Amino acid sequence: MGRRGSQDGLQIVRIEETTMTTRADAIERAKKVKFVILDIHGVLTDLTLYYTDDGKKSEIYSLHDRLGCAALKEAGIEAAFLTSKITRIDQYIGSIYKIDRLYGTSAKISQLDEIEKELGLTDEEFCYVGDEIIDTGIMKRVGFAVAPADATAEAKAVADYITKTPGGRGVVRELAEFILKAQGKWDAVVEKLSKTGY
Amino acid sequence: MTSFEKDLEKAIEKAKKVKLVAHDVHGVLTNNTFFCDIEGRRKYSFLHQDGFGHLSLKRLGIEVAFLDTTSIDNEGLYRAQELKLEKCYHKVRDKMTKLEELEQELGISPENVCYVGCDVTDINIMKRVGLAIAPADVIDEVKRVADYVTIAPGGRGAIRELCEFILKAQGRWENWVEEVAKMGYK
Repeated sequence: MGRRGSQDGLQIVRIEETTMTTRADAIERAKKVKFVILDIHGVLTDLTLYYTDDGKKSEIYSLHDRLGCAALKEAGIEAAFLTSKITRIDQYIGSIYKIDRLYGTSAKISQLDEIEKELGLTDEEFCYVGDEIIDTGIMKRVGFAVAPADATAEAKAVADYITKTPGGRGVVRELAEFILKAQGKWDAVVEKLSKTGY
Repeated sequence: MTSFEKDLEKAIEKAKKVKLVAHDVHGVLTNNTFFCDIEGRRKYSFLHQDGFGHLSLKRLGIEVAFLDTTSIDNEGLYRAQELKLEKCYHKVRDKMTKLEELEQELGISPENVCYVGCDVTDINIMKRVGLAIAPADVIDEVKRVADYVTIAPGGRGAIRELCEFILKAQGRWENWVEEVAKMGYK
């Protein structure tokens, strides 16, 4: 069973093996991507929150995603975090992954409008990765919408590409490879990062 | 789990009346485990997605209360603070009495209460309230008295599933989700 139980209109269904798959035009969509927006919880993390006895919070991340972010950057594709609230953990992860733009708002569509205005980009040049119901609005807007393997059924339903990797285990790594291969940049990026490190 | 098949229609009717969702912390918000390191420092795992369930209930006017009996540390309080839930009762000894006080305070009757049970000490309360819920991984005695057994286990989405169940039963989930996907939430 997947980690999420849910009801579909109160008819109980198990979401585990759904028939939802990656869309046929995913590669075409990925070719146009110039900017990747990442939800944090459920994408970079597996949604688990740890509280220590003295009240500190911690979360699990994957080093695979560090390579994913570095590869995107190397290829000239900027990545940003967009989550309801930016915490100190998110800032810390942003600095490790070298992400400069951290947006903390649940009004994700209006944040997309602002980024588009600032950078002069259009909907189809954006990739958004999200796992939750709150992400479905922005996922319908962007050119290339992505959901992790263990996302909610609602997010998967509006995704153009569903990663094989579950949240917190290297979703961005898989996505970066997919986008950069679609754009024909992957081999050069790998060669460069093998020499320079990241 | 076939021996615990529940009457879904009946549970939906009961869910329509819910005005308060009360539950313990461990076994519901966590899977009852904790980490302990060599210095004795402890660590507890919760789930991010449960938070959206709690938030949805609160925004739509259904009260949430933690009746925390099992916590060793203040982990239940930390979680409640993060979610801005005021009704977190820490180290409660008598959950039944606390729940009765809450009902009086809110001016509601037992049929308006949804309670999530996770062990034998919860069975009496479950028999009393309107909607009794058991996470997928609880003991059989608790499942037996539940009106609905969630698909998700405790600490792995049981609360989120329950919140969706109640709000769908009350016919408010679809609109809320649409609003949140468009505008976000405050």
